[in-house]
Parts: sequence; structure tokens; C-alpha cells
Amino acid sequence: MKRWWIRPAVRLVAATLLPVLVPLVITGFIWALPGDPASLICPPEVCSGTEELARRWNLDGGPWNFFSAWLSGAVQGDFGRSWRLLQGAPVADLLWASLPLTAALVSVAFVLVLVGALGAATRWLPDWADGPLEAVGLVPVLVLALSVAATVTMSFGARAFEAEAVVVKVVLGALALGLADAALSGTVIGVRSQVEDERRQRYVRMAALRGEGELQNALPNVLPALVGQLRARTLHLLSGAVVVEVVLQLEGLGDLLWGGTLVQDFGVVLAAAFGFSLLSAVLLAGQALIEILVALHVRRSPAVGAV
Amino acid sequence: MRFGAAVLGATLLIAVIALGVGAPEHLSDPQLDAVLASPLEQLPLGTDERGRPLIDYARQGAGIVAGPALLAGLLVALFSTLGGLAACISPRTEAVLAGLGEVVGALPRMVVILVVALVVPRESRSLWPIALTWALLATPGAMDEAAAVARRLGGARFVEALRAHGFSSPRILLVHLVGYNLRPVVVRQGLETMMQVVFLEIALSYLALADNQPSLTHSDSTRSWAAILDLGYKVILDLDAWHALWTGLGLLAMVAGAVVSLRFATRAR
Repeated sequence: MKRWWIRPAVRLVAATLLPVLVPLVITGFIWALPGDPASLICPPEVCSGTEELARRWNLDGGPWNFFSAWLSGAVQGDFGRSWRLLQGAPVADLLWASLPLTAALVSVAFVLVLVGALGAATRWLPDWADGPLEAVGLVPVLVLALSVAATVTMSFGARAFEAEAVVVKVVLGALALGLADAALSGTVIGVRSQVEDERRQRYVRMAALRGEGELQNALPNVLPALVGQLRARTLHLLSGAVVVEVVLQLEGLGDLLWGGTLVQDFGVVLAAAFGFSLLSAVLLAGQALIEILVALHVRRSPAVGAV
Repeated sequence: MRFGAAVLGATLLIAVIALGVGAPEHLSDPQLDAVLASPLEQLPLGTDERGRPLIDYARQGAGIVAGPALLAGLLVALFSTLGGLAACISPRTEAVLAGLGEVVGALPRMVVILVVALVVPRESRSLWPIALTWALLATPGAMDEAAAVARRLGGARFVEALRAHGFSSPRILLVHLVGYNLRPVVVRQGLETMMQVVFLEIALSYLALADNQPSLTHSDSTRSWAAILDLGYKVILDLDAWHALWTGLGLLAMVAGAVVSLRFATRAR
């Protein structure tokens, strides 16, 4: 208990390193592939300006030169250019255009998960709901996303890309994302199990005898675990967002990453993975911060008046 | 009840593996007189829009997923067991596992999977590297959970207590720890990883199909179960492919059913 700071410190270090390590590893992969990176974009047999392109895009000075130039550009909001997906287009534009949809999709799905977590913690959601939720959670996200795509196609037809249809896609897609692959059921069952375990602790029973609320006493001790679980669920939702965005043809960050992967566009993948690593780093740092605040709160000595 | 669930789960699992064993390398030749035939007209699963039997799709799809999913599940189960045992032998293991889990689990899994898929050369694309990566990503969490079960038992003190009763070390580790206590967690983690790998393959193949691109998980000559779902999805375009839709969903249900049944059969008493 004395070393309570180790876990949050590890998370903060991981949060700091993640946005640097992810592009570094991908850069290593680019140079590990057979052939030089410039010829991946512009094969010499079909393209005459390979050397010029390599010079202009920092591909001629080795992986470290490329990585340091890319990272210093990324810090200033310049993520280079697309290699294949939309060849030559600035990746930053693609990235900024894709972020709002992903943020909306994952946020709405997270609200569903959060409501489930609160319902389980406060016993507002009854035990018997776990079975049906678990059954729905067995359905893969692809199947639910396809059901949403079918609904949207049948309802909107050729108007499936208009603003109203996009809103419907985001809301229903978030619902699919929140329900599929045990996102909601896993959260509800996990939170219920943690909170109920804590409610059975002797100190909580004593507090109840003093007339205090059970949850009010148990919450500070379970909060770090609950926050960890919610962070894991958010990562889970970000993973599933790739499938939902591609199936529903929502041009989000996941769709961008998928498109870049299919055509081996390292410029796009590097930036999209960097975006995901930034989001993951923010989540890690947030968890660490909450852990620190909770640890300081539970260690605060209560003011005791003179007897 | 447990025995029934075990038999059902094992039967479904064996059925999936048996489908994949000896799957045809190529689809049968098109039969234009049997286009979109129902299962009653063309046993056992009907045909596609070119008259090719859907059973070929089902067998090829099972062939793609069976080996990698089994291996991923076994790896996770093995490492989960080791995590639980290590927690009983060395108490510091838990902190190491938790730290490892933080680092490995910090990114969304799909991002890591796509980065791995990106660097696999097109000519050697298969589910194996993706399934192994998925297993690697699932392993720290599974080990951590097994270690938590071992800690609740009392960890090293539990082992010492049994030793004081005269049990041999192999018996304590294999029977009392793994067999009686870690089994539900280890089996569940392994089975869930298996199911996740199958569903991941179907998702990745479907997304590639939707973009009319080669799959990241198999060669162009083979078809995933995603191809059956893709054909079935076309019912919304008034194509009479309901049999494909039910077949695709049935195959998914078969995998989920096997996992749920086996998980139920091995749950803690």
C-alpha cells in the first residue's frame, strides 16, 4: 500500500512513450520490408521520379531521419502525405476530417456502456438483465453493423449519404458497437461483481450500521478498478469502430486506417495509428490521474476534534 | 447438465474442425442451371449466384479459421495457466503481469492487428500471424486474471498448506491448482480467444470484400465465411439468398454455441 504511486507512474510513463513508440515501430516495419520505401510508392519500373520523391519525402536518409522528420512535423500538425490511398494528399486533412465521426460514434457507444456501469453499480439494473445482455453480447460487431447497414439502406436508399442518414448511422452504429462483442454485458457484469464484492466488506457493513450509504463508502476503493475497466472498454469500442465505420461507410479514423492498410499506404497508417496512440495515451493518463486523486483522498487524515 | 453441455460443445467444435479438414483448394465449377438453389434443391446448403455449392465455402472458411483459432486459444490457455502457477510460486509475478498488461493492452487491438497485417507480404497473407498477434495481445490479461484467482486462493500459502498435508508438488500444481481452481478461467480465456479469432477473420475478410480488395487473411482462391454472409446480405437487394444468410449466421452460431457450451461445462462449482 505504501507504493501506491507505482501503478499510476507506470501508466504515465506508458502514456508519454506510446505516441512516440507506435510511429517508431511502424517506421521500423517500413524499412524492414523488402525493397526501399520510395520504390513502394513509386516503383522505378513504372515511375521515373523515385529518387526525387525519396528526397522530398525524407525517405532517402534512413529510418531514423524519416522518423525524426515525421515526428517533428507531427508535433506541428503536419503528418506528411498519403502514399497510395489519395496519393499526395496531406494526411493531416484526412485525419482532421475523420476525427469528428469517430469521436461521435465512440462517445455515443461509451454513454451506453457508462449507463450500464452506473446501473450495475447502483443496483438500478437488476441481476436478471445479465443473461439477456450476455446473449446479445455474443453477437459479433460485424453482424450488428450489417443489420444497421441493411436498415439504413432500406430506409434511406440513395439518400444514405445525406446528413440525416449519417446521424442515423452514427446513432445505430454506436448502439451496435456498445452491444456487440460483450462491450455492454462485460461492463455490467464486471462492475456489478467488483462493487458487490466491495459492498460485502466489513467496513462497508459497519458504515451501513452507522447510517451511511454503502456505495458512498465503497466507491473510493473500487473507483481505480472501475476506471481501469472503463478504459479497457473504450479501447474495445475504438477497435470495433473500425468495423462499424467500414460497414456503414462512415469516413472516420477507423475507416481511414482500414483503407490505408488495404493499399499499404504507410503515410496514412502512420498518422492514423499515431491518432489512436494519442487517444490511448490520453485514456492512460486520465486513469493515472484518477488513481492519484483517489489515493490522495483515501489517505487524507480526517480532522478529529479534541475530546 | 454439465455433461450435456460438454457433449454439445465438443460436438460443435469437432464439427467446425471436421468441416475444415480436407477443405477443397478451389470452389467447384459454376453450374448456371443451379443458381441460388435452396438447400432443399441442392443439398446440404444450397448454392451461390453462380451455382457453386455453399458447402465448399463453409469448408474453405472452416479451413482458414480452424488451425489459427485453435492455436491462439491453446496459447492463451497455456500462458494463463503459467500465470496462475507463477503467482503461487513467486508473488512478484503479479506486479510484472499487471505492468505487462498495461503496456501490451494500451492500444486498441484492431490497430495492432492492422499494422501487423500491413507488413505481411501480399503473397503470403494468412490468418496465422494475425491469430498469433491476437493471442499475444490477449495473453497478459488472461495471465493476470489467472494470477488473481491464484491470489484469492492464498497463493504460495495455499501450496504450502497442501504440501503440509503430504501432497506431492506435481499433484498440487496440476490437480489442485490447475484442475480444481484455475480450470474455469483458463478454459474460458482459451475458448473466448478462439471465438474472437474466428470472428476477427470474418470481419477482416468481410471488410476486404466490401472494398473489393484481396483479403488480409487468406489467398484469393479460397473463400471465408464472410463470403457467405456477403451473399446473404444481398437479400436487401432482393436477391433470393436467404439460405446463404441463414448459413452464414448458422456457422457463427455454431462457433458461439461451442464456446458457450464448453464454458458452461467447465465453470466453477
